[in-house]
Amino acid sequence: MLDTLASAVAFGVVLASVIAIAAMGFTIQFGLTNVLNLSYGGIMTIGGFAAYLVTSHGLSAWYGLAVGAVAGAIVTLVVGRGIFAVYARRGARVFEMMMVTLGLGLVIDYGLQALSRNNIYEFTVLQSAPISLGPIILTPTEVIIIGIGLALFAGLEALLRLTKIGKALRAMAADPALARACGIRTRQIVVLTWLLSGALCGLAGVVYIINSQSVGYTTGELFLPLVIAAAILGGAGSPAGAVLASLLMGIVTQVVAAYGGSLYSTAAGFGVLVIVLLSRPSAVLTKQANEELTLA
Amino acid sequence: MSAWSYYISTLAVYFGIDVLSGISLNLQYGYAGVVNLAFIIFQSVGAYVAAATALGPDTGAGAFQHYIFAASLPFPLPLVLATLAGGALAGVVGLFSLRRMRRDYQGAIMLIVSLIALQVVTADVSLFNGSNGLTGVPKPLSFLPVGPLAYQWVYAGWVFVFCVAVYLLVRWLSRSPWGRALKAMRDQEEAAGAIGLNITVLRLQVFVVGGLIAGLSGGLLVEYIGAWSPGAWGYAETFVIFTAIFVGGLGNYRGVVLGVLLVPVVFLQVTQFLPQIGYPGLMDSLEWVVIGLLFMFCLLVRPRGILPERKPEATEGNAFPFATPGLLPYLRRRLGRPLA
Repeated sequence: MLDTLASAVAFGVVLASVIAIAAMGFTIQFGLTNVLNLSYGGIMTIGGFAAYLVTSHGLSAWYGLAVGAVAGAIVTLVVGRGIFAVYARRGARVFEMMMVTLGLGLVIDYGLQALSRNNIYEFTVLQSAPISLGPIILTPTEVIIIGIGLALFAGLEALLRLTKIGKALRAMAADPALARACGIRTRQIVVLTWLLSGALCGLAGVVYIINSQSVGYTTGELFLPLVIAAAILGGAGSPAGAVLASLLMGIVTQVVAAYGGSLYSTAAGFGVLVIVLLSRPSAVLTKQANEELTLA
Repeated sequence: MSAWSYYISTLAVYFGIDVLSGISLNLQYGYAGVVNLAFIIFQSVGAYVAAATALGPDTGAGAFQHYIFAASLPFPLPLVLATLAGGALAGVVGLFSLRRMRRDYQGAIMLIVSLIALQVVTADVSLFNGSNGLTGVPKPLSFLPVGPLAYQWVYAGWVFVFCVAVYLLVRWLSRSPWGRALKAMRDQEEAAGAIGLNITVLRLQVFVVGGLIAGLSGGLLVEYIGAWSPGAWGYAETFVIFTAIFVGGLGNYRGVVLGVLLVPVVFLQVTQFLPQIGYPGLMDSLEWVVIGLLFMFCLLVRPRGILPERKPEATEGNAFPFATPGLLPYLRRRLGRPLA
């Protein structure tokens, strides 16, 4: 009984690591630019396919991670500067911007469907004997995923708390106009945001397909709701909040699955979001007044 | 010739159902500013309820599909229940998702709700037969003594009756004080609250009215095609209708009809006649890519749609067509108005 719970929690932590990597990128992007980017899932899939192409040519999964991150960063910068900024300059409001990102997501998803010929590709790396820690049995890959998640979280927190760039990022997230008045180069900060969040997005895509061992055009789209839920739950612009929310959602999902509710496991994760919305609406009301898009 | 007649009548039915969908979304977003990216689940619940209540009980050795609410109800009842189901689900969803929040948050939460519903219905076979969906829904107007081709046109006419009725009803609603309250809420939420409008109730009301229309459209659709499965209701389906009302013109019902004619009907059907390129299925993928691009392009070059919302004009009396002060004064007003 307790063993089931322990291993469910362990699997939950693995899933949470994947969600957290994506949610950290999402929350930074959302917190800084105010764009609720629904094409984020599509860009995750692009990262995944980039890694798939690299590893299918015989390179190791570590290169796959690097290439996925670079692909995510470049694509995000291009759409951010080339598409989202155009709409922002034309006076699009937050909702219209979200619809633009949804349209872009459709373009990316179905473009990938066309390119991948609607196939699902197997992606297996690092098949080796599982490690058992008492009742918990994890594969080395899963341990590495948790490690990557922790390392990225620590790195991101260090960047935000200890460096000047991080200070500028936080200032910009808090008040763009004031940040600009203080001499922060907000343009460059926005570029940096696209690159940073895009890299996390691409990485998340690769880590996700390493965990699920396959990649198809719906990979990111199906995962995105969990990511958005974690980012909203954790509070926009807060990586630590996103990580906590990811842990909560990952563990709830896996525990429900372990106790016979596998049909409803993902729905249970969203159930958490709904309950929080009902019980603590202030979680999503924090940025009520700020509906300005800040990306030009 | 009869193949063409069959094809055109099928398009006519889809057009009518998409008009109902567009009217529903336009009332919610175009008039009230309530973002309903979960539209497709209200249409689906209507479809499922209409299908399940029209089908007989699934007991017996040959049962190949499982579902709840089996009732073999006679003709108009499944459609009535479908409409009510759409409204009821909208009420439930609206209760927790219509809190005061940013519109993009609200949209994202609706999208999540729609994905939860999709997963639950796909996973739980006992609800509505899981991913295989329901099939063999009886044709509602089969008591009419007409051939299969004539039935097509009769059904198209049946759908258009609903279209016209809903169109007139919604136009009357949106010109009524209630409709003006919706617009006030959309444009200046805080001011609308300050003059005493109950924002929460208004939002819920418009959400439920839209849900009723969505349920009706789902019921009409499933009784026409005879089957419904989770494959039919991804978020992309909602996006097509949103594209249609953005292209046609938000807050303008003629714009909605035009947009629905252009986007889901002409645009998606014309591509069926293009020569197939590449492998089978490539065209289907590219169709969705083009829909996405179309929305983005439209928002860039014509953000208010082809037929933008008209400025409110002072109208006398009740605008419901059956209660106009009279045809002659109406025409005089129309003709006497200077060309703007």
